[in-house]
Amino acid sequence: MDVLRKYVLGGMLCLLLLGAGCRSSMPSFHIRQDVDFGFIKKVAVLPLNNLTNERYAADAVREVVISELLASGLVDVVVPGDVTAAMDSLGIRSVSSLNAEQIKALGKALGVQAVIFGSVEEFGMVRLGNISAPNVTITLMMADTGSGSIIWSVTTTGTGGGFMARHFGARSETMSETLLRVVRDAIRTLTEYGS
Amino acid sequence: MTCRTETSGHNHNRFAGAVVLALLLVVLSVWGCSGPEHYIRPDADIRGLKKIAVLPLESLTVDENAGEKIRGMLISELLARGVDVVEPGEVTRALREMKIRSLRGVTAEDIKGLGRRLNVKAVMTGSVAAYGMSRGIATSYPEVSIHLMLLDTSTGSIVWSVWHTAGGPSFWTRHFGTEGGTVSETARKAVREAVGALF
Repeated sequence: MDVLRKYVLGGMLCLLLLGAGCRSSMPSFHIRQDVDFGFIKKVAVLPLNNLTNERYAADAVREVVISELLASGLVDVVVPGDVTAAMDSLGIRSVSSLNAEQIKALGKALGVQAVIFGSVEEFGMVRLGNISAPNVTITLMMADTGSGSIIWSVTTTGTGGGFMARHFGARSETMSETLLRVVRDAIRTLTEYGS
Repeated sequence: MTCRTETSGHNHNRFAGAVVLALLLVVLSVWGCSGPEHYIRPDADIRGLKKIAVLPLESLTVDENAGEKIRGMLISELLARGVDVVEPGEVTRALREMKIRSLRGVTAEDIKGLGRRLNVKAVMTGSVAAYGMSRGIATSYPEVSIHLMLLDTSTGSIVWSVWHTAGGPSFWTRHFGTEGGTVSETARKAVREAVGALF
């Protein structure tokens, strides 16, 4: 009877761990293996494309991307105002339709080896069963300003209400914490696989 | 005799329990004491900064005054830490004279110009991404997120940057319905911790 109880408990524990693991999502990313990321010393983070209904989602994510890129120690980042001025002078209205020539021109104007752009797909609260939790999904891309081609791209998603929060009342993340985690996960792919 | 041995063993257990409890308290008090992750340029002379200008912060929230609220707290915190701050009115006048309409469009050249006009070696700028009450799984809680950057007025480049968030549902609020902190208290905490990473 004791052995049976042990097996039942062990099985339940495995199911719990499987259930907990199902919600963790690894970022899907691509890194050009033939590119030496060491030559990138300074980047410009362009305004992100906002695909959500949240008015400031793209601006909020951009600020975190700038801060976390700097904090990672990987690269220096151009002052956001200079990016706006360069885009205005080059007549770039939308980042969703950037072409290789425009990327090269931005590189020359800003004195950067790469530009980062992308979009915010999800930014808000979602219903998970009978609870609400923050949900953030972003896509970031890095383009080499020498060739205008994309050398890194990543899509990450994060949901604040984890397994422990939903089932055991553990502390759930705030929107800001989920956002920070998602951006860190994205940049980690660059620090771990790009160096 | 036996009785004395039992008492001695009992005392030993109590002592061990007290040590474990003390260690636990130390661990819990240290937990969370690490400041926010931030960037600081290796060659930046932060100690040499005696006076800085704090530009208006951009509000990326529904509360249009969030930027000004955080700016006020930021100025107070800097002054409390012994850093002199240019009067906000002087900053507004300099921005107007330089025809800087949008904070998003402040360029490196503008930063240099502001440094000359205001006679400061650095200016602080940034944004507020969250300021207010948020709704969690079962409770409402204050949430404040700020991004601060310090720009060197001789080069116009970023010498320090931090993105920090404070607030969220505490254990006692979630499980026992106790009153959590207010938005203002959370904002002050966020500012204090962010500035504490620099000065």
